[in-house]
Amino acid sequence: MSKTMDMEEMLQKIKDRQWALADIDWDAPGAELITDEMRPRLKAFMADLCWIENVGARGFAAMAKKAPNDTIAEIYRYFHAEEQRHANAELALLKRWGMLEDGEIPEPNVNIRLAIEWLDKYADDMSLSVLGTVIPMLEVALDGALLKFLLDEVNDPICHAVFEKINNDESRHIAVDFAVLDMLGHAKARKLAIEFVSGVASPGLIIGALMYIPLLNRVRNEVVDMGLQPERLYVAMGRFKKLGDRGEATHRVPLYQVLKWHAAMVINPKHPYHLLANTMVTLSDHYPKFLLRPIPTWFKELTYEPVSSTVSKPGARKDAA
Amino acid sequence: MSTATTEKRPRTKKPRKTHSTLIIGAGFTGLGTAIKLREAGVEDVVILERADRVGGTWRDNTYPGAACDIPSLLYSFSFAKNPNWSRAYSPADEICAHIEDITDDFDLRQLIQFDTEVTALDYDRHEGTWTASTAGGQQYRARTVVLASGPLSNASFPNIRGIESYEGKKILSAQWDHDYDLTGKNVAVIGTGATAIQIIPEVVKKAASVKVFQRTPGWVMPRLDMPTPKVAQAVFAKVPAVQQAARNALFLSHEVAATGLVWDTPVTSLIERIGAAHLRLTVKDPWLRRQLTPEFRAGCKRMLMSSDYYPALQKDNCKLITWPIATIVPQGLRTADAVEHHVDAIIFATGYDVQLGGPPYPITGAAGRVLQEEWAGHAQAYKSASTHGYPNLFFTAGPNSGPGHNSLLVYVQGQISYAVAGIRTILDKDLVSLDVRPDVQAKHNESMQKRLKRTTWMSGCTSWYLTKDGFNGAMYPGFATQYLRQMQNFRADDYEMVSHGARRLWNVPAAEAV
Repeated sequence: MSKTMDMEEMLQKIKDRQWALADIDWDAPGAELITDEMRPRLKAFMADLCWIENVGARGFAAMAKKAPNDTIAEIYRYFHAEEQRHANAELALLKRWGMLEDGEIPEPNVNIRLAIEWLDKYADDMSLSVLGTVIPMLEVALDGALLKFLLDEVNDPICHAVFEKINNDESRHIAVDFAVLDMLGHAKARKLAIEFVSGVASPGLIIGALMYIPLLNRVRNEVVDMGLQPERLYVAMGRFKKLGDRGEATHRVPLYQVLKWHAAMVINPKHPYHLLANTMVTLSDHYPKFLLRPIPTWFKELTYEPVSSTVSKPGARKDAA
Repeated sequence: MSTATTEKRPRTKKPRKTHSTLIIGAGFTGLGTAIKLREAGVEDVVILERADRVGGTWRDNTYPGAACDIPSLLYSFSFAKNPNWSRAYSPADEICAHIEDITDDFDLRQLIQFDTEVTALDYDRHEGTWTASTAGGQQYRARTVVLASGPLSNASFPNIRGIESYEGKKILSAQWDHDYDLTGKNVAVIGTGATAIQIIPEVVKKAASVKVFQRTPGWVMPRLDMPTPKVAQAVFAKVPAVQQAARNALFLSHEVAATGLVWDTPVTSLIERIGAAHLRLTVKDPWLRRQLTPEFRAGCKRMLMSSDYYPALQKDNCKLITWPIATIVPQGLRTADAVEHHVDAIIFATGYDVQLGGPPYPITGAAGRVLQEEWAGHAQAYKSASTHGYPNLFFTAGPNSGPGHNSLLVYVQGQISYAVAGIRTILDKDLVSLDVRPDVQAKHNESMQKRLKRTTWMSGCTSWYLTKDGFNGAMYPGFATQYLRQMQNFRADDYEMVSHGARRLWNVPAAEAV
């Protein structure tokens, strides 16, 4: 990654490459290629994928507030919307495959719910160096493993067309992510140390880690259940290291080192880390529902409808959870 | 708005005579200048107005909800008070009626040339006169000119991708189409600035649905608007001193706000807290509150005054959308979250063509230089009123004259008295030209820019006060009191003067003197 990425140029490129649900023919043939056998697991997986995109979107919303300049802030504003776009498109695929009733939005699992709570409470207070390190990890995992795996499994041409668009967006996201991470690495060592210590010592980040570990393992287990070779996920996590180490100063960001170390543990299926992580997944299944706070309104903005003609207020709907 | 067409150029008609003063624009400022000039004994005044009525911005801006956001008692001239303001913040039509009343009360109508749009201003350095060319072909000549055409008098559709493809109704806030009925329509509003926050609550009352597209949220302060009690109106009418006292009190309270709105101080943080509390008290949903929370210092962009904007946004038929607009399409707009919004009409409340680089018509000065070219980089003037190379010409709302905390008309009053003092000097001393000294102007601007550094406007946001490269040639860095003191002090020493008498003495060839 070049530290001299021209952000103005990147912003213009982002503006030029916008697409919408209306660009896609959701009724085109191909939906029948989804087998009944695939359906239940594919639905669970796609639902998680779509919620993870939405969680990523919220992360960019937090980053927009921390951006070092107006151009990067505007880029993050677009990325926030684009992650939402990906979630909307994935929802539209679910709808196309007949996996959603009219008006149905899939239920987020408990780890997603906990991640949302965390984001809503802490994300806006996290420093750019924390957000700027965690988000690329999430995106690389998504982009490198989950999406590519999906395309191997699903033959629907519309699904391929949609994910080609999503992947193009994601490659821009990842390029900017790592350019910013490198930029952060150029800060003074003292500033990096202070931000790291204050960031890590904060209850926010500790709780965040407690959310992140089981979320990652749950998705890992899910895709493995679906037949994904765990190596694929590991290759993707390895890419985080590869892209990061390419940066001139990225290695100086302490949290980057922590995540890299964490990724190495996740990659090794025999590492005792998985005992801890999988125990956390099981535990989270028993997380008392009444402790979950109401779902924030931003989480209910997802839609598979390409066109909106009137005002629908998600916040006005009573939350059943 | 303009009725002139440029397709067929009309025949130029030379000026019949040389007037003492030409005033361009018959809004508050132009009319106020005429009143004060006549008070000072300058009778030969002509006002050129492009429309067929007086009123300026208050005639043009007739969008639903249009009103002033400074209390009417202060948003008026101290020499032409109105005891009958119906509300604390008067609606546009009442302000416009007040301007009509002033025109009649001071017998100004005879001075005004309506339907006369100025297309160019040229200075004749030998004669020391200005010639205004107009769209109709008639030229006007005068020894002095006051530019009162306003800094926000023009508006146009913004340059949004795909705008030309839209097949629905496009409405520009500054050119509202009253023949189009919004009742039952699905409407988009683009913009959330001072104009939009007045339009939205009104449109929400009528339309089936209203989607508000926001790029940057501003600081919104509650606007305590209420009807003026009949008793107060009666007292104001009988004892003008009471109205003046109320006006003074309002003036002082706004001056206090300058300590937070002009300069970046702990008071700025206090104002932000009030804004945040207003948001917390009126908006229930935490995510909507987050979307509406500004990310710049209070005062950095224009403060918004409204008590009905936040409630309107939360009505069942209204929704705030903060996704970037990707493009406008034939049936509506697409946002970056991939959704296409179909609407019957789009209201563009996207601001004005801010004239930071001078009026929209070319002004050619003494050395044949064009003002707009000189100001294309950074506009600058002396005391916001005069600029070197353009003698006998007085600006209103000129460079570094904008208030961020007080009534614009208070500042305009200062500009009028400065222009009147200058014009009186030219006429009394029988001057060919009165041109501000370049060194005086440079020193003034150096001080302006130095003082601007500590202001909220320079605290890091981008606003229409600043040029693209971040230069502030718009706002005055100080209290209104300081500005008025500056404007009340016309110092002839600051100007280069050439008198007709001196010309004769130095034996300037007759051909040049004519």
